[in-house]
Amino acid sequence: MFSRKAAKSAFESMLFVWGEPLDAKMAADAIGMDLKTARECFRELQDEYGGAGRGVEIREIDGAFQFVTRAENFDYVKRLCTPVKERRLSQSALEALAIIAYRQPVTKGEIDSIRGVKCDRVVEGLARKGLVEEKGRSAAVGRPTLYGTTRDFLRHFGFESLDELPDIDDIEGAIHEPDGDVADGSEQIEIDLGAAAPGGGL
Amino acid sequence: MAYKVRLDNFEGPFDLLVYLIENAEMSIYDIQVAEITRQYIAHVEAMQSRDLALSGEFMVLAAVLIEIKSKMLLPRAKAGEGEAGADPRQELAQKLLEYRKYRAAAERLSEREELAGLVIEKPQEDLLPYTGEPDEYLRMDPARFAQAFRAFLSRKQRIDEVRRVYARVERQRATVESRILFIERLFRQKRVRSLRFGELIGEGGRFEVVLTFISLLEMIRSKCVRAVQKGSFAEITLELCGKGETADVQQEGREVGL
Repeated sequence: MFSRKAAKSAFESMLFVWGEPLDAKMAADAIGMDLKTARECFRELQDEYGGAGRGVEIREIDGAFQFVTRAENFDYVKRLCTPVKERRLSQSALEALAIIAYRQPVTKGEIDSIRGVKCDRVVEGLARKGLVEEKGRSAAVGRPTLYGTTRDFLRHFGFESLDELPDIDDIEGAIHEPDGDVADGSEQIEIDLGAAAPGGGL
Repeated sequence: MAYKVRLDNFEGPFDLLVYLIENAEMSIYDIQVAEITRQYIAHVEAMQSRDLALSGEFMVLAAVLIEIKSKMLLPRAKAGEGEAGADPRQELAQKLLEYRKYRAAAERLSEREELAGLVIEKPQEDLLPYTGEPDEYLRMDPARFAQAFRAFLSRKQRIDEVRRVYARVERQRATVESRILFIERLFRQKRVRSLRFGELIGEGGRFEVVLTFISLLEMIRSKCVRAVQKGSFAEITLELCGKGETADVQQEGREVGL
């Protein structure tokens, strides 16, 4: 049986060889350890690297672990290997992606109606980049495709899991609304009531 | 009234409208429709004059704005008359709020993306050397690799040459005309006036059978021969017709007679 120390050492070597995010389950199976303990070992390793301020860190993505460079060292890495590949998304791609991330599974039609423009090409582009994928079909008329985010989405944005997405209502709350927020807030409530029960309060 | 015109490429009509409302420091819940519509249309026209490709959705929203304004000009229905009493701006306001929420989320994602871009991951390398089946080609030095490639090229060249030769030797397929001539010659050689269908075919395959049969039909049509079959699937017998004989056959007949 593996001691904890030996297991951590083994996982460290595996991470080094694997490069890609290594599923904790896969690593645990490789040495015959249960997943829960394996995950603890990975997190301990993660703390050891993080705490010591090493240039290499262990990142967790969707239950998988991966060696990555420390963000603070980006400039130095960049000097070594210019030009570093740019991989930023366009504004429209980000908007569509935000809608998919928060409302998944979602159809193109819903994305169109929120953005007010057709999004076919944008969504196709996101799918091509591997950030979103088809998650099945909606029961609605025409059985449109439902889209959701992928593990690569988490990886690209550095999220451990979808739970890490900032709360969308908090984001909305942070938006500055001029002309006195209180009055607007109360008006919003009236509108909501009106919408919910036509013929009511207004 | 003067106003600034921003000529950036807006992501869509909502993007433009939210920008105008925020720029005018208006509340989304209390849009001054006439003013915003004026600005909106001015922007759309400015963008068109700069040949920016505008999607039809921009026009749709302009129409929606005008519709809202016209509804607001009508006397407001009294409360208690159902939806007619609702603010005509309400639906648009809800949509803009929804859009603005996701646009803000997109901004957050963008920030996140920038931060995540500072972290570099190592792409997975070729693990084949560590697996049971290392790829032998990777261990070959360039000279040997080039040699192998040259060997492949010359082999391909040889095969191509052989293929070219064989391509020319295409079997000449008989035509109906040549078959008819063959059958007529057969009659002459055998010096008979009737032949069985089987005798016409010899060892030929399906193509021969079909061709012979079509030729036979052609000969019947031009009244060179008569075909007799004594029952279903029975042997077909061909008989030369006296009056339909071809010039060749008549000539042959005279020769025979001599």
